[in-house]
Amino acid sequence: MGKWLWLRNKLVGLEADKGLLFRAFLYLLLVDVAFIYLKPVFYMMTTMVKGAPDLLDPAVIWVPTALYGGHLAEAIKMLDYAKSFGVSLTISTTSAVIQVVSCSIAGYAFARLDFPLKRFWFGALLFTFIMPAQVTILPSILLFKELGWINTFWPLLAPTLFGHGLKGALFVLIFRQFFSTLPKEMEEAARIDGAGAFRIFFRVMLPISRSAIVVVFLFSFVWSWNDAYFPSMYLFGASDVPLSVGLSKLNAQLVTEAQEGGLRAFLEPVKMGASFLIIMPLLVLYAFTQRWFVEGVERTGLVE
Amino acid sequence: MNTEHSGLEPAKRPRLSWLPLRWRRNDAVLRKVEGSLFIAPWVIGFLVFVAFPLVYSLYMSFNQVRITVTGVQTSWVGVQYYREILLADGGLLYDDLFPFLREALVMIPIIIVFSLMIAILLNLRFAGRAAFRVIFFLPVIFASGQIIGEFIAQGEGSLNVIASLGMDDRLARYLPDAWAGPIGKVIGSFVLVLWYSGVQILIFLAGRQTITGSVYEAARIDGADPWSTFWKITLPGMAPFIFLNVIYTIVDLFTYPSNPIISKVTTENYGVSSALAWIYFGIVLLFIALAFAIYARTIKSMSPRGH
Repeated sequence: MGKWLWLRNKLVGLEADKGLLFRAFLYLLLVDVAFIYLKPVFYMMTTMVKGAPDLLDPAVIWVPTALYGGHLAEAIKMLDYAKSFGVSLTISTTSAVIQVVSCSIAGYAFARLDFPLKRFWFGALLFTFIMPAQVTILPSILLFKELGWINTFWPLLAPTLFGHGLKGALFVLIFRQFFSTLPKEMEEAARIDGAGAFRIFFRVMLPISRSAIVVVFLFSFVWSWNDAYFPSMYLFGASDVPLSVGLSKLNAQLVTEAQEGGLRAFLEPVKMGASFLIIMPLLVLYAFTQRWFVEGVERTGLVE
Repeated sequence: MNTEHSGLEPAKRPRLSWLPLRWRRNDAVLRKVEGSLFIAPWVIGFLVFVAFPLVYSLYMSFNQVRITVTGVQTSWVGVQYYREILLADGGLLYDDLFPFLREALVMIPIIIVFSLMIAILLNLRFAGRAAFRVIFFLPVIFASGQIIGEFIAQGEGSLNVIASLGMDDRLARYLPDAWAGPIGKVIGSFVLVLWYSGVQILIFLAGRQTITGSVYEAARIDGADPWSTFWKITLPGMAPFIFLNVIYTIVDLFTYPSNPIISKVTTENYGVSSALAWIYFGIVLLFIALAFAIYARTIKSMSPRGH
C-alpha cells in the first residue's frame, strides 16, 4: 500500500508540476513545438548550402554531402546585399531609436501627466492602434508626394519623430503601462526638489526604464526590418530599397526566370539563401539581447 | 537644518519662466501646461499622420479621384463605390473576405489557447527553461516578415499527422462546405497558427507574472488540486490578458500585409480602394466590438455578485 502511494506520488506528484508523468508531458510538448519552430530554420540553412548533386539526390534530405556557396553568392548578388543591408540597418536603427524616445515621452504623458482632453486623446491612441494602415495609406502617399518625400526615407521616419510610425501606438501603450506601474514616490521627491516634468522624465524616469526601452527598441527594430509594406508603398521607384523589399523583388525575378525555363531545383536554395541573409542580422541581434529582452518582458514592462 | 539641501530652493528655480507669473503660481495650471508640452508632438503627429489622412480617405471614398500633374481632382459620386463593392460586384470583397473571416474565426481561439498553454508551461520551473524561452520568442522575429511566407510555400505549414489520419475527409463529410474549407485550411496550416503566436506568448508570460505566488500557496494549503487551481485562479487572473490578446490577434491578423483584402487597396483607383479600406475597417471594428461584448459578459458572470 505504501509502495503504491509512493509510486503514485512519484508519477503524478503532490503538485501538478512535480510528477514524472507531467514532466514527461511537458518536455514532449515543448520539444515538439520547439522542433516546429526550429525546423524551417534548419531547412533554410541546410538547403542553401546544397550543391546541384545534393539537390537532385533524393537520399539527401537534411545534411548536405558537401558545402556549396554558390547559391548564397547568387542571393547576395541578387539582393544587392551590401547596399540593401545598409538601407535596412539605417531605417531600422533610426526608427527604433526615435520611437523609443518619442513613444516614451507620449507614454509618460498618458501615464502620469495631466493635459486637456486626456481621455479623448487616449481614445485616439487606441483608435490608432486598431486602425488598419490601409485606411490611411493612399492619402499618406498623396501627402508625402506633395512634400516631395516619395522615394526617400522620410515617409518612414517622419511619423516616428512624433511617436507614430510602424506600430507606434502599441509602443506608446507599452510605455504608458510601464510608467504607470512605477512607484510615484520618486517623482514626488524630485518635484518637491523643484524639478519640472522634463527634468523628472529625463533624469529620473528614463534611467530606470531600461526593461521597457529594450522591449520597445527590439520590437521596433525587428518590425521595421521585416516590414515590406510601407517601403514598397513609399519607395517604389527608389534604387535604395531595404532587404524586405529586395526579397519580394528577388522572388518576382526568380519566378520569371523559372518561366523562361530555368531549373526549378535551384530556385529553392537561392530563396532560402536570401531568407537566411535577411534573418541572420536579426538572429545575431537577438542572440546578444535576448537576456535583457526576456528580463524586460518578465518585469511586467509589457502589460499590466 | 541643512540649508544647502536643495529642498529649500525650489521657489528660486525658474520653471517654464516664459509663462505669466499668475499661471506659474497655480500648480494645477502649471501641470497642465507641462503635460500639454509632453503630449504635443504626439497630438501633432496624430493630426498630420492619422486624422488628416483618415478624413481625406473618407472623402475620397465618396469621390472619383483623378491624379493629374497639377494636383488631385475629385468629383462627387456619393455612395456609388460602397454600393458597387457591397452589392453589385461581389468579387472584390466577398470572394476573398468570407473565407478569410471564417479562417480568422477558427484561428483566433487556437492562437489564444495555444499561447496561453505555452506561457503557463514556460512559467513553471524546469531544467532547460531558459533555452526554451529563447526558442519560443523566435516567432516574434520571423512572423512579421515575408520569411514566414517562404516557410508556408515550402509546405512547412502542414502537419503530416492530419493527412494520415484522414481528418480532411471527415471534415468534408460532417461540416457544411463553407466551413470545411477554412477549417481544413487552418488545420492544414496549423504550424502557421503556432508561428503567429509569438507576441501573444510574450503578453501571457508577462501577464502571468502579475498573479502573485502567495495566492497559489494559499490554494495549496487549502488542498486545492492543480486542475481547480488553474480554473479558479490562473484563468480568472489571466482574463484581462486573454482579452488583450484577442484584440491584439484580431488587429494583427486583419492588418497583416499578406491579407487578401489589404493587397486590393492600391494606387490604381483611389476612390474604390478607399471605400474598400473603410468597409474593411468597419469589419475590423465589428470583430473588436464582438470581442469586447464577450469579455464584458464574461467578467460580469465571473464576479461574485453575478449569480
